[in-house]
Amino acid sequence: MAKALYIDYQKCTGCRLCELVCAVSHDGISNPARSRIRVIKWEAEGLYIPMSCQQCQEAPCMNVCPVKAISRDEEMGRVYVDYDVCIGCRACVGVCPFGAMSFNTIDKKVLKCDLCDGDPQCVRFCEVKAVDFVEADEVCILKSRNAAERVSAAGKEASALEAQL
Amino acid sequence: MPLNRKIAYIDLTTGDIQTKPIPLEVRKKFLGGRGLDAYLLYNHTKKGCDPLGPENTLLISGGILTATCASATARTHIMAKSPLTGLLGSANMGGFFAPEMAWAGFHHLVIKGKAKNPVYIYIHNGEIEIRDARDIWGKTVPDSQWAIREDLGDQEVKSCVCGPAGENLVRFANVMTGIKNSGGRSGMGCVMGSKNLKAVATRGTMDIKIARPAEALEYNKRFIDQIVSAKVNQTQGVLGTPFIWGATNSWGGVRTRNFQYNQCEYADDIEPERIDEICEETMGPHHMTGCYGCQVHCRAQYKIPEGPYAGKYDEGPEYTSQGAFGGETDTPRALTVLVGNHLVNQFGMDNLETGSLISWAMELYELGIITSKQTDGVDLRFGNDEAVVEMIERICYRKGWLGDALADGGIPAAEKIGKNSFDYLIQVKGMSNLHSDERATPGLALNIATASRGSDHLRSRPAIDLYHLPQEVLKKIYGNPVPYDGPLSSEHTEYVGKPWQVFWHENCYMGVDCLGICKYHTTFLGATLPNFEDWSKVLYYNTGIEMTPEEIWEVARRCNMIERLFNLREGLTRDDLNKGDMLNHRYFDEPCRRGAIDVVGRKIDKEKFIKMIDELYEHKGLDEDGIPKPETLQSLSLENEPSHLL
Amino acid sequence: MATESEGVSTAESLRKTRTYGKFRCHNPTCMERIQPEKGKKTAKCATCGMEYRVHWVNPSLPRIRGPVWDVNRKLAEAKLKEKGVK
Repeated sequence: MAKALYIDYQKCTGCRLCELVCAVSHDGISNPARSRIRVIKWEAEGLYIPMSCQQCQEAPCMNVCPVKAISRDEEMGRVYVDYDVCIGCRACVGVCPFGAMSFNTIDKKVLKCDLCDGDPQCVRFCEVKAVDFVEADEVCILKSRNAAERVSAAGKEASALEAQL
Repeated sequence: MPLNRKIAYIDLTTGDIQTKPIPLEVRKKFLGGRGLDAYLLYNHTKKGCDPLGPENTLLISGGILTATCASATARTHIMAKSPLTGLLGSANMGGFFAPEMAWAGFHHLVIKGKAKNPVYIYIHNGEIEIRDARDIWGKTVPDSQWAIREDLGDQEVKSCVCGPAGENLVRFANVMTGIKNSGGRSGMGCVMGSKNLKAVATRGTMDIKIARPAEALEYNKRFIDQIVSAKVNQTQGVLGTPFIWGATNSWGGVRTRNFQYNQCEYADDIEPERIDEICEETMGPHHMTGCYGCQVHCRAQYKIPEGPYAGKYDEGPEYTSQGAFGGETDTPRALTVLVGNHLVNQFGMDNLETGSLISWAMELYELGIITSKQTDGVDLRFGNDEAVVEMIERICYRKGWLGDALADGGIPAAEKIGKNSFDYLIQVKGMSNLHSDERATPGLALNIATASRGSDHLRSRPAIDLYHLPQEVLKKIYGNPVPYDGPLSSEHTEYVGKPWQVFWHENCYMGVDCLGICKYHTTFLGATLPNFEDWSKVLYYNTGIEMTPEEIWEVARRCNMIERLFNLREGLTRDDLNKGDMLNHRYFDEPCRRGAIDVVGRKIDKEKFIKMIDELYEHKGLDEDGIPKPETLQSLSLENEPSHLL
Repeated sequence: MATESEGVSTAESLRKTRTYGKFRCHNPTCMERIQPEKGKKTAKCATCGMEYRVHWVNPSLPRIRGPVWDVNRKLAEAKLKEKGVK
C-alpha cells in the first residue's frame, strides 16, 4: 500500500519551513512560489492550513489534460506530471479544486507535489508533524482517533461539570 | 545567489528611489543585517543629527542568509539614530517580513527625508513605489497590515508598520510586523512616525539561488536537530519565552517594584505554566506558533479570557510582558499581563520601556515625588492593575501630564518631574533596563552597562553563565574561534573572566544579527547551540562565500566597533550616567532582598565592576576612556571611516 | 578550510554534555544537581535546603516552576537578618 501525505492543520505552527525545503529540494532555489505545499494563513485568527495535492483518484487535472501528460502512479500513490509531454496549457491549474496545481511563471511550468519519490522533505523537516507521511489506509484511523480523543475529553469535562452540580 | 539582493535608497522628501547591488567586498567586511546597517548608519548620518528630523536615516534589512536554506532566518533589523537615547537605535524582530523583502529583491533599505503626508513604501519583485497611507494612519498595528493587504489586493503581502505610538512620537515606539513581532527598544517606530512613514510593505516571488542546495538542505536538517534537541528550546517550544521570566524569578533575578525587590513573590498566576494553561484553554492544545523557517515555535497564541477585552486574540505574552506588566509593577495577575501585552501590541510600543517607566513612576508616587495632580488622579500605587492598564494607554496617546511626560522617555521625564526622580530611574544610556535584576550576576550587569543600544540583554548577555557550566565546557565555548587563555569561572556571582564572556557574546550576537538568524539558534540561552564554526558552513553552502570562523568573528568585531564609533560620535563618554557605560547607583548601594539564599544580600561591588569595564575595553581594543586605539581601528580596517562604500 | 570539513563543531561536540531528568539548585553557592522523582511536583535540595515546585515539560524534562514561596521568604528573611540588611 502506498503512503499518503497526512496534514493535521491544528499542529501547524505556520513557520513555512515546508515551503522552503520543498522549493530547495526540487529546484535548488529558495522561493515559496516554487513550493508544492503552501501554508494558507488567517493571521488575525491565528489559523494556518498547509495545502498540498490530494493525489485524487478521479483527479480533475488528469482528466482535463488535453495531451495526457498527467497520470496516476499507483506504486507511489501519486498523480504525476510527465514534463516531456506537458505543453504548459495550465488547464490542470484551472480545474484543481484545491489550488494544489500551480504554475511557475519563471520556468513556465506547472508544478505539483510528487511526494519526493517517497521521501517527502516537508514531512522530514516538520518537527511538529503537522505534515506526516502515513499508510494511506491509516489516514482515516488517525483522524478517527483524534476525533475520539476530543469526544472523550468532552465527555470527561461534562461528567466533571455534572459532579460539581 | 542571495548575494544579488540589492540595497535601495529612498528619499521620502523628494520621492527619489535608487537601487544598487551590494559589492562582494562590502559583504565580506560587514556581511549584512545589523552589521551592514551599522556601517550605513555611520556613513549616512551626520554628527548630532536630529533623530526626529528628515536627516535621520532609517535602515531596514535582512541578514545575508535571510530566506536562504538556513534555519530561522526570519529576523528583520531596523536601525537609526535613537530618539530615546540620542545614540545608536537598533531593533530586531522575527516574523516574515525580511524573507519576503529578500524574495522581492532587496536586503537593505536606506530611508531618508520626510513625506508630506502619511505614506507607505511598497516593494514588489524589484520595483519600489511610495503610496498614500492617509487612510491607514491612526490604525492599530494589525489593522494597518490588513488595510495594506486590502489596498494592494494581496493577502500574502508582509508589512512592517508603526502603530499609534509611532505616529504620536512616543520615543520608544516599535516597528512591528504580524500580530506581535516587535522591533522593540530605542524607538525605531518613532523614527517611522517622524518621517510620516506608516509602513513598508513587501511581496516577492523572485528566486534566491542556493549555492550548494543539497548540502545546504542536509546541513539545515543537522542544524535544526542540534537546536530542537536542546532542553532550553524544548521548554521554549511548550512554554514559550515566559519560561525565561519564570526561571529568573525563581532564583531572584527580576526587578520588582521598580528596583526595591529582585523577586516577584507568589507570582503563580503569571508563571509560564499558568500562562500556558490560559493559552490552551482559549486556543486549544496546539497554540504555539513560529517565525519563518523556525522549528522552536516559541510564540504562544491566546485570547483574553475575561474582562473588557475578553475574546481579543493576540500572541505572546513574551517574558518581557510578564516582567513589564506583572513583576516590575507588582501586579502578578495573568489578566493584567495579557491585557498589557495586547495593548502594546496594538499600539506598537515597547513593553519593556513602558513597564519600566510605569513602575518607576509608581515608586515616585509612593515616595511622594509625584502627586495625584501630576497623575491626573490615577492612583499609581504598586499592585494597582487598573493603573497599569490606564497608563499604557495614556503613554501611547500622550494623555494627561504624566502620560505625555513618560512618552518622551525616562531622562526627559526625570527632568520634567525634577527633585531626585532621576536617582530612581533604572536605565543605561537613556534606555530603561529590561525587567531583569543583575545585582547578583556581575557578568550580566557588565552586559547591560556596556550594550551598544543602551541597557539591553540582547547585545552581549552571557546568559549561559547562570548554568554553572564546568571549566572544560567553558574553555571549549569561550576559547573558540579565537584562543583565550585567561581565567573563567563557573560561578555567576563572580567577577573573574566575565569581561571575556561579555566580549565573546557581543561578537556572537553581532554575528547572528549579521546573518539574520534568531538568537535562540545560537549560544544565547543554550550552551550547546551553534555559533561561528557552524555559521561558516551555513554561509558557504548557502551563498558560496568562504569565510573561516575566525573571519566571521573579525566581521563581528568590526561591526561592533562601528556601533561604538557611532555612539562616541554622538557623545558617549565612559562614566556619564545619561550616555555612558555606567549603572544606576542602586546596583552598588542596595542589596538584594529576596531570591535564593545566597542571592539575598548581594549587590555589585563598584570597584570590581569598574575593573571589569577596564578589562572589557582591553579585549575590545579600546583605551581606558572607551575610545578605540588607532591600532585597533587599523586591524579592523576601520581607520578611514566613514568610507562611503555604499 | 572549516567549511569543507564534515567533522563536528564545538557546539555539536558539547551535545553529549546535556543531562536529562535533572536540574540544578538555584542557589548560587550550591548549584547541586537535583533529580526530582518522576512526575513529582516538588523537590528539596539535599545540600542547601531550598525547596522548589517542579513542572514537567515532558516526561524526561523537569524544570523548576518556582520556589515554595513560604519557605523561600523564610530563608530570605533569615539571611537578611544574618547579613544585617535593613
